[in-house]
Amino acid sequence: MVNLRHLEMHELLAERDGEGSAHAQTHLESCEDCRRELERLFRVRAELKALPAFTPPRDLWTNVAADVSQRRKRRWWGAGTVGLAAAAALTGFILLRGGEPITPGPVVDGTVAPVEEGRVAEATPDLELYINRSRELETLLQTYPTQYRVYDAPTAIAVSALEDRILILDGMIHESRQLGVDRRVLVNLWNERTATLETLVGIQLGEARPVDTPVQTSTSVWR
Amino acid sequence: MSSDALVLADALVARARAGDLEALESVYRAYRTQVYNLGRRICGNEEDAEDVLQDTFVEVCRSIRRYRGDGSLWGWIRQVAVSKALMLLRRERNRSRRTVSGEVISLELIGTNPPEPTGPIDLEAALGRLTPVTRSVLWLHDVEGYTHEEIGEMMGKTASFSKSQLSRAHKRLREWLD
Repeated sequence: MVNLRHLEMHELLAERDGEGSAHAQTHLESCEDCRRELERLFRVRAELKALPAFTPPRDLWTNVAADVSQRRKRRWWGAGTVGLAAAAALTGFILLRGGEPITPGPVVDGTVAPVEEGRVAEATPDLELYINRSRELETLLQTYPTQYRVYDAPTAIAVSALEDRILILDGMIHESRQLGVDRRVLVNLWNERTATLETLVGIQLGEARPVDTPVQTSTSVWR
Repeated sequence: MSSDALVLADALVARARAGDLEALESVYRAYRTQVYNLGRRICGNEEDAEDVLQDTFVEVCRSIRRYRGDGSLWGWIRQVAVSKALMLLRRERNRSRRTVSGEVISLELIGTNPPEPTGPIDLEAALGRLTPVTRSVLWLHDVEGYTHEEIGEMMGKTASFSKSQLSRAHKRLREWLD
């Protein structure tokens, strides 16, 4: 017996994609209109695939290479200075424990304000804790570089964003050191650096996966 | 064409993974058209497609060391490109909103869409008339071969969302093409 209700678009698309229901297949056997519609969907897909490709109107490699070179310089600078920042902060902690309180140097728009000349940042046990933890995490990352799994692209992008943030924080720590800012600023910076590294370690050592495995995301792209 | 996998020599990919700029440039030259085309299909205009192309290869250059090689390089680059294109689309979408009496209203809802065509139009023109989200789902599913689950995930939505967008796309195409 012929089922008189024509198939809906989603049923036809499911059929086209090999996921049709038994009901849809039974209907198609007896309904020429729906068969024609199904053929049209196959045809449209083929025509979409056959559309000529757009070609880039200009060569962007120079821009890409410049960006990459700039990032490499920043990475070199960050890697060099963060060690100095950490070492200096620890030295400061050892030498200046019990030193006099210093004038606050607030962070404004990512820049640390200068403090009175002659005053230096005072390290605290909290600061030492964060610096040590930060070092442990970096050591952990460096210990297993060859065991990194390949990431799917969204995870790779997230890792890049975290690395960028660490570079920015390193720059701010370096600048804070130069200016001798309030210890609370340094504590906050090192705290954020440690937390960012924790996330990075979590991704790199815990959540890396083969490239074909779908990534689980909790953030909506379309918020 | 966009789903074709161009296979690069292993040695070249290895050099690219090691950060060799010359090898990275070869990777760029091998895949730039596919990436640009994908960006153009999703974003719908030349300027955004160029941004997708540049952002994708900046990301590829810095992240390719994390590509282990157990999937196709094009598959990996394509995923970066799709992520960059969808991010751009989300930014554009947010930018295109206006606050009216404290409410956020999409420009699509306040009459900026072009008028309905009076007769049949060709496939290229029809694609251009679809909303960016609907067009993206259509392209990612029907041309690039992503599943509804994958598309839903990439868009922070469900597979059902992807299916309904695909149905909407084909209904609109049927109206405009016939």
